[in-house]
Amino acid sequence: MRDDVAAKLARLPPDEQTLLRPLVHTTSRFYMAAGVLALVVLWGMTAYYLQVRYGLGRTGLNRPEYWGIYIIDFVFFIGISHAGTLISAILRVSKAEWRRSITRSAEFITVLVLGFGAINPIIDLGRPDRLLNVLFHAHLRSPLLWDVMSIGLYFTASTIYLYIPMIPDLAIVRDAGIKAPWFYRLLAAGYQDTPQQRARLERVIGVLAIMVIPIAISVHTIIGWIFAMTLRPMWHSTIFGPYFVIGAIFSGIAAILIAMVVLRRAYGLGNYFRPIHFDYMGRLLLVFSLLWFYFTFAEYLTAFYGKEPAEMRTFWAKVAGPFAVPFWLMVVCCFVIPVALMCRRAMRTPRGTLIAGIAVVIGMWLERFNIVVPTSVNPRWEMESLGHYHYAPSWVELSILGGTLAGFILLYMVATKFFPIVSIWEMKEGREESVHTVAARVASYLPEPTAPAAGD
Amino acid sequence: MTRWGMVIDLDRCTGCGACEVACKSENNIATVTPEQADMGRAFAWMRVMTEVTGEFPNISMRFMPRPCMHCDNPPCVQVCPVGATYINPEGIVGQIYPRCIGCRYCANACPYTVKYFNWFAPRWPAAERAHLNPDVFVRPKGVIEKCTFCHHRLQRAREDARAQNRDLREEDYQPACAEICPTGAIVFGDLENPRHQVHGLKVDARAMRLMEDLGTEPKVYYLVPKA
Amino acid sequence: MNPTRREFLWTAGTAAAALAASQAPGIHWTTEQEEEAGWEPGIEERQSSACLVCPARCGIRGRTVDGRLVSVTGNPLHPMSRGGLCPRGVGGVQMLYHPQRIAAPMLRVGARGAGEWRSISPEEAVGLLTTRLGALRAAGRPERLAVVAGYCAGSMDELWRRFLHAFGSPNYVADDYPDGTDSVMALVHGIPRRPGYDLERARLVLSFGAPLFEAWWSPVQAYVAFGRGAQGERARGRFIQVDTRFSRTAARAHEWLGVQPGTHGVLALGLAYVLIKEQAFNADFVARHVSGFEDDVDAAGRPREGYRSLVLRSYRTEEVSAITGVPVERIVALARAFANGPGAVAVCGADVLHAPDGLLSGLAVHSLNVLVGNIGRPGGVMFADDPPLASFAQVRLDPAARAGNARPPVAAVERPALFGTGDRVARFAAAVAHATASPVDALLLYYSNPLASDPHPEDWRAALARISFVVTFSPFLDETASLADLVIPDLMPYERWQDAPTPASYPYPVWGLAQPLVAPPPRALHTAAAILAVARGLGGSVAQSLPYQDFPALLQARARGLFSARRGMTLGDEFESIHYRQMEERGWWLAQETDFDAFWKDLVERGGWADLLYDGTDPTRLARTASGRIELLPDALRRALDAEGRKRQPYAALRDTSPTAGTLAFPLRLMPYRVSTLASGTLSLEPWLAEQPALFPDVHWVPWVEVHPATAQGLGLGDGTEVWVVAPRGRYRARLRVFPGAALGQVNAPYGLKQPDGALANPLQLLDGTTDPLTGLPAWFSTFVRLERAS
Ligand SMILES: Nc1nc2c(c(=O)[nH]1)N[C@H]1C(S)=C(S)[C@@H](COP(=O)(O)OP(=O)(O)OC[C@H]3O[C@@H](n4cnc5c(=O)[nH]c(N)nc54)[C@H](O)[C@@H]3O)O[C@H]1N2
Ligand SMILES: Nc1nc2c(c(=O)[nH]1)N[C@H]1C(S)=C(S)[C@@H](COP(=O)(O)OP(=O)(O)OC[C@H]3O[C@@H](n4cnc5c(=O)[nH]c(N)nc54)[C@H](O)[C@@H]3O)O[C@H]1N2
Ligand code: SF4
Ligand code: SF4
Ligand code: SF4
Ligand code: SF4
Ligand code: SF4
Ligand SMILES: [Mo]
Repeated sequence: MRDDVAAKLARLPPDEQTLLRPLVHTTSRFYMAAGVLALVVLWGMTAYYLQVRYGLGRTGLNRPEYWGIYIIDFVFFIGISHAGTLISAILRVSKAEWRRSITRSAEFITVLVLGFGAINPIIDLGRPDRLLNVLFHAHLRSPLLWDVMSIGLYFTASTIYLYIPMIPDLAIVRDAGIKAPWFYRLLAAGYQDTPQQRARLERVIGVLAIMVIPIAISVHTIIGWIFAMTLRPMWHSTIFGPYFVIGAIFSGIAAILIAMVVLRRAYGLGNYFRPIHFDYMGRLLLVFSLLWFYFTFAEYLTAFYGKEPAEMRTFWAKVAGPFAVPFWLMVVCCFVIPVALMCRRAMRTPRGTLIAGIAVVIGMWLERFNIVVPTSVNPRWEMESLGHYHYAPSWVELSILGGTLAGFILLYMVATKFFPIVSIWEMKEGREESVHTVAARVASYLPEPTAPAAGD
Repeated sequence: MTRWGMVIDLDRCTGCGACEVACKSENNIATVTPEQADMGRAFAWMRVMTEVTGEFPNISMRFMPRPCMHCDNPPCVQVCPVGATYINPEGIVGQIYPRCIGCRYCANACPYTVKYFNWFAPRWPAAERAHLNPDVFVRPKGVIEKCTFCHHRLQRAREDARAQNRDLREEDYQPACAEICPTGAIVFGDLENPRHQVHGLKVDARAMRLMEDLGTEPKVYYLVPKA
Repeated sequence: MNPTRREFLWTAGTAAAALAASQAPGIHWTTEQEEEAGWEPGIEERQSSACLVCPARCGIRGRTVDGRLVSVTGNPLHPMSRGGLCPRGVGGVQMLYHPQRIAAPMLRVGARGAGEWRSISPEEAVGLLTTRLGALRAAGRPERLAVVAGYCAGSMDELWRRFLHAFGSPNYVADDYPDGTDSVMALVHGIPRRPGYDLERARLVLSFGAPLFEAWWSPVQAYVAFGRGAQGERARGRFIQVDTRFSRTAARAHEWLGVQPGTHGVLALGLAYVLIKEQAFNADFVARHVSGFEDDVDAAGRPREGYRSLVLRSYRTEEVSAITGVPVERIVALARAFANGPGAVAVCGADVLHAPDGLLSGLAVHSLNVLVGNIGRPGGVMFADDPPLASFAQVRLDPAARAGNARPPVAAVERPALFGTGDRVARFAAAVAHATASPVDALLLYYSNPLASDPHPEDWRAALARISFVVTFSPFLDETASLADLVIPDLMPYERWQDAPTPASYPYPVWGLAQPLVAPPPRALHTAAAILAVARGLGGSVAQSLPYQDFPALLQARARGLFSARRGMTLGDEFESIHYRQMEERGWWLAQETDFDAFWKDLVERGGWADLLYDGTDPTRLARTASGRIELLPDALRRALDAEGRKRQPYAALRDTSPTAGTLAFPLRLMPYRVSTLASGTLSLEPWLAEQPALFPDVHWVPWVEVHPATAQGLGLGDGTEVWVVAPRGRYRARLRVFPGAALGQVNAPYGLKQPDGALANPLQLLDGTTDPLTGLPAWFSTFVRLERAS
């Protein structure tokens, strides 16, 4: 770190010192990690090149196993993306004051992972060169098209929703003048934190927060519908919309928790991601774990109880057939572990939540696998289901999976180098105003202390 | 209103498989290498499905030739984002190869699993290219294909009929599989035309369609074997 | 939402242009490339011809575009195939454009089998052949020329015979694919040819192991009969399959009776027992036309049991049920169904004869047809006569030829099987291999690949090593060809003229005609043309014996016989045919064509000639035996059995033969069967078929064997494992398929398949060598094997 920058940094108030430090100071560990990730990304890209050159045959896909890793990742990443925007919006709308330090990191997850979610279906195309046919020959009947639209919308919305609340902080960076002044001058868009500017900002954020919620929900609902709209056993289900949304938020929370723990260690933000945050987030995780179980149970019971032969073939394939391992692993990861841990206060610590979070992320990936693959290899027509269909992902698919994952983490790391990962001004605001406003608000919930009326 | 359809009499079908090969020959269906075939990537627009029940010596096996059902209410067409699979006014469900983006959504949506994907560019032993049928598109890499009711034959037949200015006759338009079937098990024609055999056969007491309960309205009927 | 014009052009474009790419087993593959280049329609033609892919010879129509054969469909005018074809026939286009086809003569330059060849001109090839053969005649040893020919019915066969006769060699070894049924007919009816079956009009078809829907003599004949029948829907016959294996035929037949291996004959006589007991047989027919039914006395006055007594004594239903494994009530029901009215026919499968007691079993099966008198009747057994072709020009013999013909043929055997030629090809090889000095200097192979197809390839290898000049006419470098000195590739089926008479299984004489659909490669040579050229080159009596400038001329000369025969007609649609038959029945015959040229033109256009009138009243079509009666107990057979010493009686003998059993080392019975997709014994399958050689099990490109789930479990072998099929004589590699339709302890082994790398997988080369002493035919189902995991 150049010492003039160090000097400038030293002159800033404590919050800003800690939170802006990552922007100007980078450890060698960071570079190493980034390097490794970059290599993985490169590897993934080469794999994709081969696939484009020779055809999807380079995957392990076949007939009737038409969809595999890519579609699983698509659903998975988009699910993760529900972390930020949706959660932070809900917290904002519900005036949950403890949100202040975590919203920013969450919103970043959304914007960055969304891209990686969106490219997966394109990677899955036999003819990526014809992608634009989706516009030239758009057929609105197709859920795939609904999805294109809602994801597009969600992406724009959450980007704005990430940017607007960041403006004051960008202004702060600009004024601190510790890094690429022109860049932050541009982004800060002449924000001077005047009262009326602040007021307008608050209002816009308020409106956005309300707007993005339905959009976010629509996104995963529609992804659920992509499957539900077909007549395939264990896809053709009315609860897939909500089921997918719940799952998305569930995995989102897990992702945030992991991010929080990592950031906390990496940038020593222990003071900002406090035990209480992990406690509350842990509770949220618990709630959604239970919700997820409820939906899953409902889904499978319905299938099982109906005993429709086609459904049962897939059902047994999952519960006691070739897919029993991923299935029960999923149950353990999404239900047993998180519930067992998060139901105990003592475990709602950084470490506890990290374990739970990782378990859930893995579990939710498996959930998508268990939705996509078993149904695919068990066609509805009994004469087709000779039982010898199979799916083994090829190294190309796995490389691309690794590549996208690494790509996301890499971008997230880079982002922390350009933007304060915890909202500075919201912290300030919290200290200066919320404390009083909240006190006042709480007071307003309570009955007036009135003297007993005199009488005999 | 013309609605092309097929009736397959399972009481006559011997499962000889001539229809399969005739279809491959007529429609330039590529062969795949042994490894690919083992992976389940072989093509067969017409496939004689088999089902074995019981064990030796109390065993039975049934055969069921399976083309595309050309559903009147085709799920595959519903889900295609670019309309690369479409149903024409006469009920033939076709593919527009140059438009297909290869998402394979239609393949997943088809309850009868009759759609085949070109995982690689199609291949032939070099010499075998000579017998490619010029009337039929060769599918490129990365698109979906399936039985077309030999639609190109209809176009031909129409032209010929027009040239001789007469109406289209039942025998003018017969798909390759129906034409070759040595037992006469496959009957093809206009389901709406009283002068065509299928018109009567489709209401035969033995007539049934696959998974009718799905409401896909297949235009391929089966006559179940006599007891 | 039809394709936009651009989309249309674009895709049409892709129908052109290809580019070399990835390679697959032995074959060079090409990959389609997208290309904007448009494609414009070419000149299209449709012509009649005949399918020469297998011995059945169905009628075809070829569709050519710009001289390329694009597709093969059925010829609706052909009375046997009626516009239908089997998968092999449809896939014929891939045979024609087979990647491994040889287009020009090749002369060996390196050591034998080293695979070094020099491509030479047809003239040079013929020249070489002529000089080599001329030398033999000059040396006065014409008999040292031998010809081994595979299936080549019609004029090709005749041409070879004539050529050799004129040349002066008795060593024409034609594999006429003996299946023993001809021996049965020779004994019973005095008619030495395979029986024809009027399946189309049969009420009940009772097939004993004949793979009617697989690789029968004419599967399409069976398909047509099964699917359409003669009177259409109303009178479609009922098909009942008696088979040890749950074959594809058994699977589709209306009924399947699984019997113990080699007990077909016993079951047949069990049925006869019921017929006789219940007086359900055709007593009147038997009385008028059959001898050997009742007891009688022989020349020496000793009393002899007749068919009736033998059957009644030895085939009580319970016993038959015990031996065959068929429940009593099914036997009785079946017998009654068989006797219930006319049009019930028992079809004798080649495999019934391929058993230690083959001949007797065949006799037993056919006796059912005799009992119900269903000979020469609609829906019964018929003996088609040959088409009335004009005979060849007279063969002229010079002294050299006379001398050569007088010498004993190489394949002659000291103790010949009395009622059959046995496997002549194998015998020939053995003779050459074991003779002190090779009796043969020049060997010509036509349609024959013994190294791959003969049960004893080792004999053939030895024999070939001892023959100084080996020529093959195979258009493929098959196993034998690769050890030859000279390859003069024949034209492929769709490129050549050939007559295509229907196989004997079809009850009417049909002379199909194969005409070229596409131009042959410039340097390939029709084998017939080669023979004629050589004859011309040899000059003298040989040339005079074959005075035809080319094969079409020869065929025309023979067709004149049809034109002047005043019977039959060039192929016509069903109305024409029926009309003609009715006219002929009334003794009328009206010429369709006024002069021969018109007749020939019609013949070529329509694809052949047929005479669908069968005169059942003609007694010579019932029996041509000395007694003029149908012999249920032929004396010759009685004598042969007595000669065997162990007092065996014709029919009774069957029940005494104890079924062979496996050993500890080789516990599983090998069940060879011919896959229906197999077109030729050893030619690797057409890609479309190789990719899916059978509907079930689901295998691709590789040979497989089928075993029962329990058997597989017992062996600890899972579905899809690569295994060695091991017999005392040898082993081959295959993929194991668990198939509930396989009998316990048996290995169903399809034959005619190869590994993608060309390695043979021929169960027939594991056969233990058991033969039926009476016919000399190998027993196909008495060999036992074990399965070993191949790592
Ligand atoms: N497509 C086609 N057809 C052909 C030919 C061809 O090249 N291609 N070639 C022709 C030739 S050369 C021949 S020789 C014939 C061969 O024709 P077949 O002699 O009929 O030979 P496979 O088809 O092997 O029939 C063997 C049948 O016998 C049954 N079998 C099994 N075990 C036993 C047993 O213990 N006893 C009895 N009796 N039967 C048993 C098997 O189940 C099997 O169905 O095919 C002719 N037809
Ligand atoms: N592996 C295997 N062995 C078998 C059999 C089997 O099915 N499979 N069947 C057994 C039986 S029943 C019999 S009858 C024998 C038959 O065995 P063969 O009499 O040897 O007949 P194929 O084995 O059919 O060999 C025919 C050969 O002729 C060549 N050929 C193909 N087309 C043409 C052509 O158009 N013109 C000419 N001139 N040659 C051509 C091919 O190279 C092919 O190898 O084999 C027996 N052995
Ligand atoms: S061709 Fe006819 S008989 Fe043969 S399998 Fe196809 S439908 Fe059945
Ligand atoms: S069968 Fe499948 S592919 Fe054919 S129309 Fe129906 S849904 Fe579409
Ligand atoms: S694969 Fe092609 S045809 Fe099928 S849905 Fe996708 S774009 Fe449409
Ligand atoms: S109708 Fe044409 S495309 Fe469809 S299965 Fe039959 S032959 Fe093939
Ligand atoms: S049965 Fe033989 S002749 Fe007839 S079509 Fe098939 S291969 Fe050709
Ligand atoms: Mo044979």
